[in-house]
Parts: sequence; C-alpha cells; structure tokens
Amino acid sequence: MKTSQNKKSKTLDESMRMKLAVTALVILLALIALFIRIWKIQSDYSDEYNQTILSQQKYDSRDIPARRGDITDRNGTFLATSTKVYNLIIDPSQINADQEDHLEPTVALLNEVYGYDTGELRSLIAEKADSQYIRYAKQLSFDEMNAFETRKEEINREFKKKGDTRRIHGVWFEDSYQRFYPNNSVAGSVVGFAMNDGLEGSGGMEQYYNDQLTGINGREYGYLNDDSNLERIIKPAQDGNTIVSTIDVNVQQIVEKYIAQFQEQMGSKTAACIIMDPANGEIMAMADSRPYDLNDPRDVSAYFTQEELDAMDDKALGDAWNTIWRNFCISDTYEPGSTSKIFTVSAALEEGSITGNETYNCDGFQEVGGWKIKCNKVTGHGLLSVEEGLMQSCNDVMMQIVAGLGRDKFCKFMDIFGFGQKTGIDLPGEADTSKLVHSAATMVPSDLATNSFGQNYNCTMIQMAAAYCSVINGGSYYEPHVVKQIVDPQGSVVESMEPKLVRQTVSSDTAAFIRKALFRTVTEGTGGAAEIPGYHIGGKTGTAEKYPRGTNNYLVSFIGFAPVEDPQVVCYVIVDEPNTDDQAHSSFASGIFRNIMRDVLPYLNIYREGDDSEYAVLEDVVFGDGAETKPDQGGQTEKKETEAETESVHNADTEKETVSGGEAQDGEPQETEAQTRRAFDRDEFVEPQSVEEGQSSENLPGIPAGIENAEIVPELPSMQ
Amino acid sequence: MVPKKKKRFYDYSLLFVIIFLTVFGLIMIYSASSYTAQLKMDDAGYYLWRQAKIAGAGFVLMIIVSFIDYHKYTYAILFLYPGSILLMIYTMLFGIEINGKRRWLSLGSLPSFQPTELVKVALILTLAYLVVMLGRRINSWKGLLILFAVDLLPAMLVAANNLSSGIIIVMLAVVMSFVATDNRWNWIYAAAMGAVVLMVLFIEPISNALASMGLLKQYQLSRILVWLEPEAHPLDGGYQVLQGLYAIGSGGFWGKGLGQSIQKMGFVPEAQNDMIFSIICEELGLFGAICLILVFAFLIYRLVVLSMSAPDRFGSYICIGVLAHVAIQVILNIAVVCNAIPNTGVTLPFISYGGTSVILLMLEMGMVLSVSRGIRLDAEQGIPRNNELSDHDQPERWQGHGR
Repeated sequence: MKTSQNKKSKTLDESMRMKLAVTALVILLALIALFIRIWKIQSDYSDEYNQTILSQQKYDSRDIPARRGDITDRNGTFLATSTKVYNLIIDPSQINADQEDHLEPTVALLNEVYGYDTGELRSLIAEKADSQYIRYAKQLSFDEMNAFETRKEEINREFKKKGDTRRIHGVWFEDSYQRFYPNNSVAGSVVGFAMNDGLEGSGGMEQYYNDQLTGINGREYGYLNDDSNLERIIKPAQDGNTIVSTIDVNVQQIVEKYIAQFQEQMGSKTAACIIMDPANGEIMAMADSRPYDLNDPRDVSAYFTQEELDAMDDKALGDAWNTIWRNFCISDTYEPGSTSKIFTVSAALEEGSITGNETYNCDGFQEVGGWKIKCNKVTGHGLLSVEEGLMQSCNDVMMQIVAGLGRDKFCKFMDIFGFGQKTGIDLPGEADTSKLVHSAATMVPSDLATNSFGQNYNCTMIQMAAAYCSVINGGSYYEPHVVKQIVDPQGSVVESMEPKLVRQTVSSDTAAFIRKALFRTVTEGTGGAAEIPGYHIGGKTGTAEKYPRGTNNYLVSFIGFAPVEDPQVVCYVIVDEPNTDDQAHSSFASGIFRNIMRDVLPYLNIYREGDDSEYAVLEDVVFGDGAETKPDQGGQTEKKETEAETESVHNADTEKETVSGGEAQDGEPQETEAQTRRAFDRDEFVEPQSVEEGQSSENLPGIPAGIENAEIVPELPSMQ
Repeated sequence: MVPKKKKRFYDYSLLFVIIFLTVFGLIMIYSASSYTAQLKMDDAGYYLWRQAKIAGAGFVLMIIVSFIDYHKYTYAILFLYPGSILLMIYTMLFGIEINGKRRWLSLGSLPSFQPTELVKVALILTLAYLVVMLGRRINSWKGLLILFAVDLLPAMLVAANNLSSGIIIVMLAVVMSFVATDNRWNWIYAAAMGAVVLMVLFIEPISNALASMGLLKQYQLSRILVWLEPEAHPLDGGYQVLQGLYAIGSGGFWGKGLGQSIQKMGFVPEAQNDMIFSIICEELGLFGAICLILVFAFLIYRLVVLSMSAPDRFGSYICIGVLAHVAIQVILNIAVVCNAIPNTGVTLPFISYGGTSVILLMLEMGMVLSVSRGIRLDAEQGIPRNNELSDHDQPERWQGHGR
C-alpha cells in the first residue's frame, strides 16, 4: 500500500523525523512551561499586582481653580476683580520620555517666547526628571500663553510635514486667576486684598467675606470604575460670589483726595473720615491717611526712605505692613472730645432731667469731686442755653447737665449709644472698647463730668459715626455695614443686607432738638468752618486733648450732616495730632469736612437751596412739623422745666440764669462764628476762641484703667 | 498510480495563521501604543499605520516569494550570505547609533533597517543548503565544523552588539544540525543542554566571573542581576521587568478587555515592542495568552508537518530553520516578559512592532509556502505525496544523503 511506499521514500529518515519530533516536543514543553509560569504569576500575584498598579496610577487629577468673586461699589464699579491668567507647567517626565525629540525644541521655544535661560531649564528638567508638574511661571496673560501655543503648533506642524520626529512637548498651561484692584489704593483698608492664589483675604471685605468670595475649586480626576477602567470626571469649579459694597467709589475718592491734600499741606499723625447714610447705616466712604496699593500691598516705600527700608528687618517690615493695612476708622480708639456732647444733651432730654429750655451759667470751670475742671473758655461763656452750650461747645454746661442727669442714667445712655460695644460692622479688626469706658460701678464724679464732654473714655470712629446717625435720623440705631448685597456668579442675589435696626436711641423730638442745635453750631457756633454756602449743614466740632495731658497733643474732629431738613449724609472727620505747634483747632477737621461735603453733596444730587441759612426759615420747613409738634413740645417743655428746676435747686447758677437766658445769647455766638470763619478764610488757625475744649493737666481727672492702653487695639489677623 | 491531474498543494492553513497573527499583531500594536503615540506623536495610529504598511508590503513579498521555486533560492545564497555579513560590518561602522549601539541602517526615506534580521534569513538558507550538500559528511567532525564555522562567523559579528540575536543564530545551527546528524552525536546535544541548565542554575557566579574577565559587558551583567531580583534593581531595568509582570499579573483569567490596559499608559515602556505580550496578558488575560500560544504552537506544528512532507531535504531544512527561528523567538520573548530569563531584546514574531522583523518573517514564510507548493497532492485523495518530485530536474541533488 501507500504506507510502505511512503515509509520507504520519506524525505527525512527515521532518526531525523525522531529528532524533529523531539525538537517539536521540547518547543512544546517550553511553551507549556512558560504558560505555567504566566499562570503562576497570575494566581500568586494577581491581587498584589493589581493593587500595585492602582497605587502607581496617578489618575491625572488636577484642581480647576474657582474664580474669586468680584467686589463692587454700590454702583457696580469694580473695587476688586479676578482676571484669568495662566501658569506655565513643565512636565519633565514627558520631555525625558523621549529626550532626543523633545528636549531641544521645547527648551528652544521657551527661550524664544519667554526668554527663559536655556541652561536653567535644562538643569531643571534634568534635576527633576521624573516630576510631572513644575509650575515654572505664574500668572501669564492670555497673550503670553497664546504666543507659546501658536508657535508650538506651527513648529510641530512643520516637523510633522518634514517627517522630523522632533516635537515640542511637555509644556502646558494651567488656568488660574489673578486678583486685580482697578482703583489701586482706593478704599484700600475697606476692601483688603487677597493672597494665597485668591484663597485667603487679608483685611477689609476680602477677609470678612472670604467665604463668600472664594468659591469652591473644581477638580478633574481620573478614577477606576468597577472594571478597573480609568474614567475621567470633571467637577466644575464653583465660582465665588460677588460682593456689592455700600461704598461709593466717587465719594471715597473725594474723601481720599481731601485727606491727602490735608496731609500734604499740614499733615498729621492720622487723618481719617467716614461717610455714612444715616437712614440705614450704610458706609459710603471710609478712609484714613495711610493708603496702600492693593495690587502691591507690601510696598511701603511711600512711608519710608530707601535707607530706612534697607535697614528694616522682617519684624520691622511686618509692623510697617500692619500699620498701613490697619483700618484706623474701626481699629483705633481715641477720646472723642466735644462731638460727644450731643449724647449728654440727648440723654438728659430723654430722661427728662432737662427740657432744653434751661439756661446755665458758665464761669469757666466746675469743681467736681475735688477737681477744678475748666471749660474751654477759661474766662467763662456766661449765660448759655442748652442749645448754646452745644453751639459754643461749653464744658461747664455739659458738666452741669450731666450732674443733673446722674451717673447711672448717663452710663445707661452711653450703652444705648453703643459706646463700649462693638458696632458689628462687617469688617475685620473692630476694636473692643468695653474696657475703655467707665461703668456706673467704677465711675466717680470727675469721670462723669469729663465724660460729659467726651474725655476720659475711648471710642472708635465707627462707634461715633453710628451713634451720631441714630441721633440725626430720629433715633434709629442701625448697624453700620459696608456690604449691601451678595450676588452669585449668575447674577442673582444670594443675600441682601437690609438695614439692621439695632435699637431706638432717642425720640424724634430729641433728634429734632439736636439737629437744630447742630445746624446752629455751624451757622452761629464753633462749627463755622464747616459751612458751605447754600447748604443746610449741621455739625459738631471736637477737640480732644490726648493722653498724657499737658503735652499739647490733640485729636480734633468734626462730625456733620446735610441737609439738615432731611439728613442724607453724615460725614465724620478726625485729625490726630496735626503737624503744628498749636494743634487744638477743630477747624482742621471741619475744613476737611467742608471740602469733602462741597464735592460729595452735589455728587449725591443734594443741591444748594439758595442762601437762606437763617434758622427761622428752616424751622418751619424742618422742625416745625406743622402746628402739631410745636404745642406738644411746648407743653412737654413746660412740664420738664418745672421738674428740672426742682431737681437742680442746689445749682444756684443754673437757676439764676434761667431767668435771663434768652437775651444773653445773641452777642457771643455770633462773634464766635465770625471769628472762626475769618480764621478759616485767612487760612490761619490762631484764634483766641480756639482753645475750645482743651484742658490743662492740672485739671486732669482720674483716668480709668485701660485708657493708657487706648492705642492698643486688636491687631488685624497676621498677614504673610 | 499515476495522478490524473497534477494538483499543487498550498498550505492555506499556514497562510491563514500568518494572516491571523499579523492582523492580531496590528490590533495589539494599536492597543498598546495608541496612548503614548497620541501623547508623543499627536497621532494615536502612528505605530499602527507604520507597521500596517510594512506588513502589507511583506505580505505581497511573501506571496511573490511563495510562487518562486525554492530551489532557485540557492542563487540568492550566493549574495545573501556574504552580503548580509558585509551589511553587518557596514552597519557596525556607519549605522544609526541608538543607545550606544549601531544596529540600524538608514535607508533614507524608508524606515531604517536592522541587518541582523537579514542575517537570520541568509543563514536559514545557507545552512539548509549546506546540510544538503554535506550529506552524510555532516556526521563527521569536519562536516560539523564547517557547518558551525559558516554559522559562527556572522553569529559573532551579530553578537558583538546584539547578544540575543547572536544566540538565536547559533541556536538555528544547533537545531538544524541536531536534526541532520545521526544518533551518535546525541550526547553532544544532551551535554550542551545540560551545560545550559547548569549555567542557568549558577548564573550569578558565572556571570560575575565572565564580567570580571571582560567577556560580559556591564549592561549585560546588570540585566542578569535584574532578572534575578527585579525589585532590587528598579533603575537598571528592573522597572521595565516589574511593570511587565504587573501587567501580566493584573490581567486575571479573562483580562481587562481589549484596549483597557493601564500599564500601557507609560508604565510598560515601548509597550508595542518587546513587552507587547505583557499587554496581551493584561488585556486578554490568561485566556488570551493561551490562545496566542496555541496559535504559535499550531504554526510550529504546520512547519513540522511541512518539513516532514517537503518534497526534498532542502525544503525540509528550510522549514526546520524557519521553525527554529520562530520557535526560539516566541519562547525567548515570552520567557523575557514573564522574567524566566534575563531581559534580552527579542521581538515576538508577527506581533511586536518592528518593520525589519515582520518583513523578513514574511519572506521566510514565503519560502516555506514555496516549499509547500512543491508537495504533490494525490488528486483523488488530496493527500500530499512526498515520494514524488514535482518539476525538479535534479532530485538527487536536493535529496542529499537520504537517498
């Protein structure tokens, strides 16, 4: 058969076939052995290796930065905004994966576009060869980023066309945001600045509303699903909310302009100003004389010479930063001086200890608790009504009124007006003044007497302004605030800060009395320097002698409002230690006030009313409130008058003066006004009347514990 | 029995195995390389299309070669053998230097060429021809010496900068001479096998000794150390070995699914090259691995069948040479991937990325198919008739000593 034939004529003989079979068998055995080895690897190490694989997987996760919300002023002008920028990321591991093809062109292009040193880049890429993420440059603009990307594409396309395997590779851009303050230093300490890639705010609204502004970073991450497949998920960033401030940039700029002007012409340790809307507690402007550029908050070169800067160590520099970042208006305390006299009068009116129609005799001093406390006019003002007491800023009158009011009631009203308490303004770093005022328990008669005209206790500007607003607006104490609204990135309102009425401080009658008195203070009294023709302005001066007494250091101030008929703006200006030998002139402050208000009022659409600055005309318009209030007020007054008389029997002066009160007023106040005005017009501040409220050191009353430390206020949170 | 009709045999099953392996290889190359290709080349299909073009050209070459009577290859030997040696020398002097070794020859706009692969083809033909020519003289010392001298000359040139290819070339001669010699020589092969086993067992002291004598280059020594303890030498190549092992180990029985490998994302370096089998294990699991091994086993089986039923000994030994070549590469490659032997740069035939390798494998397969064409079929039964010669005029010459 065929088999035998086949067998006989095989191409390979038997041994060869045998050996071929052996070869095939060896091959087969080898394959089986390898298969067993693979099988062993899988059965022995499957779990371990799976874990290893997962653990060395980097998942390629990265943050997607959230945009920090804007801060705008009340009209939508940006105070702070975030612009998109790009971080340049170098990925050496990708470059090194194919060094020959990638390193050269990539480094060359980085050098071409950005001028980076090629040697430095090379050594960086070699040093951190396995790194996948080096943030080489921060905050490149879109154009800078685009320049690189465009060139990269061009060059890579060319390489590809030529069949060149070289590629620019391993450089990419990461989105980021840069905080930008379009107005630089405007409202600096109110706005604050963002640090740490916009995750943290330092000072001002940036700090107080940081949680609202920051938003939530998104994340792009890879993860392994149930089948161990790498999946990618993008959780988009949630951008921060926009803060709409009550600040008005224009008003703020006006304020800053005149503070700067004053600082330039005369200068002082500190000049500061707050402008508020008395109807709701909104802060429209808040500034002190230490502005700093929010875009470069660590630049203190404006305040130091180059030599001083060179000599500074880290601590000194840190102190310098804290000084300029500090918001004087809320963080620093001082003795307010005579501006606080309206609170003494208001308290007495409210408590009924005076009617407002009393007349007091100022003999130039008052003896209280063994101290001889002088009036600002050492020779005495003579007979003054309550209103005139305010107009002339007479200490003697105040001391007599407060003596009638009594310690407990005075302290109660100090409390009602918010002294010793935080106002709750929505800014960080508000000073705690609770230890800087007297309590009824610790108050001795001399404390009460000095407190009545604003010495011997400390307050902050914001406390004073807020308390004033409440008296001006008819008795509603609103919490002062700098933020109106919080708006989400889509533009819908998240939160609207309605005016927060804290308490009722005084009755509308008292408020009207004070408004009238303050109007007359400006037109006829010590506040003449604040008068602006055509406007009905009310206001009160203050000249506080600073501690330690007798060093002739004063803090002068003026707080005023307009129009008197319908107060829309309250403006409080202080000048701490003006750079002059004779500091005790409130006209420094009222001058600034006048300059500011002259610009602010028209801006706020409050127009001149003609030249009638006579109160007689005004009375009908404003306080008259028709025939209803008048008789009522009159009746009340009569009743109170009798009460007051009986209560103040012991005070012979008061009783005596009550009789002749009416007539004695006319001469002096007018004279004072004229003199003050003249002084202002001459730009010359020396005035016989000018030592208004100062006290000499002999008359120094007991200082409550804590006042020595008045300058120490809570530091702003440390900023590094 | 005279066949009524002359019918040519053509080993279609072999052809289909080749096509299957090549296409499967392309799919795996795409799967293994697309991620890194996208990153580096901005083109996920970069490696796929390069390989596909060469494989297509190789396929055409294979078909053409398969229709050339394999006896005519003897003329090719005349210039293939000296030509490949000269090319090797030329490459060693003027080749493209990659990682300190000149293994590649630039062909201008064409993909560069690796002459060592050509040496393998040249030697398969040369050795087959030599075995036939030597006839019974192969059983003499002189005959064997001639055979090995012919083999070792290029083998040493190749081994100078590509040890693994050198080993493969020596192994070709060993396998072919083993089959060709009679049983008297078996002890020598047994002894050689034993020596290899001993060397593997005592690899560390031996390699250290060799290294100190300067016979083993530092990179070769470190590869051996890495093989023994990959975890301890992550920076000397242990990383690559370990990542390959992780890939194999993490696949499980069914694998993670085609395209789902994690390790190919930069962890297994050049995953489309030598380490592609680890990606196959990871994506297709143990099941995929056994299937691929079975396909290779079938390929080897077909080559065994062809060599046994070849019309003459020249054809037989061509098939044996090709068989040895493919089998050795498959075994070495898989052994490297699962760290059974030290890391050597051996590609997985038909699967790994590499133009020279695939085009010359196709050439070899064309030769084998040509041999298969020489097999006459019994017209009625369709059984290969290996006792009859086709159209060869000088049967004695090609039958060698068998007659």
